Amino acid sequence: MRTLAELKSFTREAARILAREQDLASYEIYCASAEHRIARLNYTSDIPSRGLEEFKSLHADGFQLRIAMRRDPHEVGAASEAGDFSSESVRDALRRARNAAVVDPHFPGFPSVALGRKPELSEKSDLARVGDGAIAAAAWDVLDGALAAFAKRSGNDRFGASRIEHPGLIIGGDVSVIRDRIAIFNSNFAFADVRIDESAHFNASVTSIIESLDAKGTAGALGDCADAMRRAARVLGRDAVRRALALAHGARPASGKFRVVLGAQPVAEILNYMVMGSLTTGAFHAASSAYHAKFGAPVMDSRLSLADDPAFSAGPIRRRITCEGIPTRRVELIRDGKLVGLLSNFYDAHRLLTDEHRAEKLGASAPAKLDFAALSGYRLGEGAGRRFDASPGAAGTNVVMRARRGLTDRELVRAVGDGIYVGRIWYTYPINGQRAGDFTCTVSGDSYIIRDGEIAEPLAPNCLRMNANLVDVFEHPLAVGMRPHPATVWGSPEAYYVPAIAAGSIALAEVAAT
Amino acid sequence: MIGRGDLFEAIEYLRREGEGILARFARSKRGVAYAALRFEAVFNRAGAAVGGEPRDGSESESAAYSVSVHVAGTTGLVGHGQTGAEIGALACRPAKLVAELQRGLADAYDRARFSARKKADLIAHLGDAAKGLLVAQIPQREKVRDDVAASFRQDPRSLSTDALKKISLDASREVTALGDAIAYQVVAAMTELRREIFIDTAGTVVSQAYAFSQADCYVVAQIGDGHQESYDSIGQQRGLECLSDGWRGELMPNPDLARFCVNLATEARELAAAPILRPPDGEVVVVTDPHFNALVSHEVIGHPCEADRALKMEAAYAGRSWFLRSLVDNQLGKAVASPMLSACSDPSLDGYGHYRYDHEGTRGRRVMHIDRGIFSGFLNSRATAAVLGVEPNGSARASEGWHVPLIRMSNTFFLPGETPPEKIIAEVERGYYVCGHQIPSISESRENFRISARRVYEIDHGRIGRLYRSGSVIADSKSFFTNVDAVGNDLRLIAIPNCGKGQPMQVKRMSNGGPTLRSRARLAGN
Repeated sequence: MRTLAELKSFTREAARILAREQDLASYEIYCASAEHRIARLNYTSDIPSRGLEEFKSLHADGFQLRIAMRRDPHEVGAASEAGDFSSESVRDALRRARNAAVVDPHFPGFPSVALGRKPELSEKSDLARVGDGAIAAAAWDVLDGALAAFAKRSGNDRFGASRIEHPGLIIGGDVSVIRDRIAIFNSNFAFADVRIDESAHFNASVTSIIESLDAKGTAGALGDCADAMRRAARVLGRDAVRRALALAHGARPASGKFRVVLGAQPVAEILNYMVMGSLTTGAFHAASSAYHAKFGAPVMDSRLSLADDPAFSAGPIRRRITCEGIPTRRVELIRDGKLVGLLSNFYDAHRLLTDEHRAEKLGASAPAKLDFAALSGYRLGEGAGRRFDASPGAAGTNVVMRARRGLTDRELVRAVGDGIYVGRIWYTYPINGQRAGDFTCTVSGDSYIIRDGEIAEPLAPNCLRMNANLVDVFEHPLAVGMRPHPATVWGSPEAYYVPAIAAGSIALAEVAAT
Repeated sequence: MIGRGDLFEAIEYLRREGEGILARFARSKRGVAYAALRFEAVFNRAGAAVGGEPRDGSESESAAYSVSVHVAGTTGLVGHGQTGAEIGALACRPAKLVAELQRGLADAYDRARFSARKKADLIAHLGDAAKGLLVAQIPQREKVRDDVAASFRQDPRSLSTDALKKISLDASREVTALGDAIAYQVVAAMTELRREIFIDTAGTVVSQAYAFSQADCYVVAQIGDGHQESYDSIGQQRGLECLSDGWRGELMPNPDLARFCVNLATEARELAAAPILRPPDGEVVVVTDPHFNALVSHEVIGHPCEADRALKMEAAYAGRSWFLRSLVDNQLGKAVASPMLSACSDPSLDGYGHYRYDHEGTRGRRVMHIDRGIFSGFLNSRATAAVLGVEPNGSARASEGWHVPLIRMSNTFFLPGETPPEKIIAEVERGYYVCGHQIPSISESRENFRISARRVYEIDHGRIGRLYRSGSVIADSKSFFTNVDAVGNDLRLIAIPNCGKGQPMQVKRMSNGGPTLRSRARLAGN
């Protein structure tokens, strides 16, 4: 990876080159150096497997120029360059940006927000320097813990899974470290200085499936230091296997409407695929938000609040400036059930505020005076690292849902009485488009039948399909959980901290066994 | 055109020097059993318009490599390591390129060696409890040398980016002309040239080039309280001519970009005014069109036929396969569908998923997945073919130069029958005609699915009746396939530009499709 000093120095040099170009009205230089190191687990007891299927790294360093032309300040072009941080490459990117320029009548210029108090570098984590050995050791520790836990059950396992000839034990998942550094400058910045940021976090997730028992258990951890990664690695494999063993030979209920407790992972998954995309200025401008015409209005139960917090103390993702150079801060999205804020980048904030149909798209409850601060403009790539060639889009960081008058997990189960505890869902999508709010998914593991207010027998994985709407989950829950729990969603750039939610009536359709 | 030397020249440099780089690396490190290098250069031009106004233009070039190293430890156990990086213009300078490759190989070697050692430790520590780590050797193969050219009339590198800006803007303006019912619309178009080379220590050197041109259209239509979001893509392995003039290929034709966008927007407007489907309880007769069946073949045939998924390697992410519970308990040779139904993957066809060699240097070939109702085979890589005890069929492909190859679909589709689609509909007394795919949700082993359609029509006494929106088909996969009682003669492939798989996610282009099918399923509205 490039050092921050290298990125900063190059950005200054590129700015000097661009400042000499007479035809440019304004410009921006954004540099990013990102690395994603992944130790991917794959163990199968009955099929030859490598243990670590892929121990790999992906590196991307480069820069992007955006220019606005003097002859028309709405004429804007962009070009990016990988790997080569030379003045020659700046000139070549400039040539390509000029070729690419279009007259976009809605281009608002580049952000001119002052940096204010110079925040400290957010990344002090030793993950920024952790080597391959620590990541690989963590991955093998996960596997060791999982296999040892499974083997240990041979003496007292009531199902005898590890004694049977073909247990069908699967251990999957990964230990990943994502780190990135950026430097950004635009000609509208006050104090004419380059802004820099860096972050590093790990994400470990483990899935244990025991096919002979038709059981699946999972475990995961997020964090921002190497010690937390090592500690997580020592328990995750063991925990995933223990959970799977506890879920053996689950029930397969018939289709119907059920009272349901949605655990942290399902709530995070529904937020990720159904809610977060709707809470952006871009979605409101496109008339595609599930909360179309409901800005300022109640959209969730009044006990629920939702915010994005790039400085959340328990969160693994730390960002102090956006990828547009704007200092970050917490964005309140839903306060006491009312929609009060949106994630936004600079362009989309301006576009919504100047939209001639803004009143209709935001709705009657929207305040007359509105300002959507561009506090969430990130340029992210696969694995959620900052990429040099991505365009700014709206994304969250640490998404935190809090609940007032929340109950303990035990009380939530009691509130449901008879129903289902859903611990994990899979393949959640807005089946009729984002705005309709309809979603479907399958219940894929970590789930139980609830009877007489107690967890009864386990539920077989993948035996039910959920067909519901956002309203069924968030508008009138039976009860909400007291504490937010960490949860990750595959492919999502955000880390989630969410409570469990008990819903009164969710349609679940039976899936045939194979 | 390209300021500082041509990135594509790096392919020629590696054709001359790549084997030597790998051989020197293998000689210098103890235990290297195999090493492979892949390098790719990409030139891309794009344009986008929103609401009839210009939004974006771009001209970019990039280069990336990935290396894979297998190291045999002192116990004979093999460890595997990979590195991938985007290096861009550094690839224009041979010394820098070689230095980058050497750094990547060294990192991958260290990872592989570490894995071999840890694997040996774990087996020593846990004995039989870790027996799954004993992997079959990948068989040697004949070395391959080939060079495959791209097909295009308009070279993506010699066009002006203005052509991309104009074609997207013109199409967007035509959509705007449809009126206020179109609340929002985006049109994006791109054309690109990719050239890649694969070299390994076993003597294979394969270079291939591809031209891709693709356009995407997203429309939100709104009439009163009714609204419809529609999204679709067209694409060919051709130059921009396939978007500007349309494409009249037999299997995967497309209209010109403006016509494509106007058709999609017109349909969205019609749907916004249509009622939401309120289907009856229970199974009904459904006739599904080729566009809808493209997503069925993708999600319910193609994905579960990927051997890495079937062999549980994707269990933590994209799931397993209902075709293979274990090496001894699986659907191979068993009936999984009506005898009328067959499905295959064929990279040799002229579709969006066409290629000659995969990213392990194996020649791609047609793989029958379902042959007249009988499950008959998986897409595989060299490693998974060894586990399954079959020949590699050339299906391991990465999305970008820096990615690790995964097992991927090519052109995956249901084979056609002989019945005209009109006759299939005319034979239905009461049922539904399901057209155009929208969004899928598939269960973990692909044994059940819910896929939404863009349009659902009633069929009443053989005639197509009222149009509904927000309808979807729900079925258990085997039941749906077994109930197929008519297969049309109207095979079409559809370009699928955005199939995600892997960790981190790789997004891949391919084709899927089929003819009109008739089966039974439940329907759902909202």
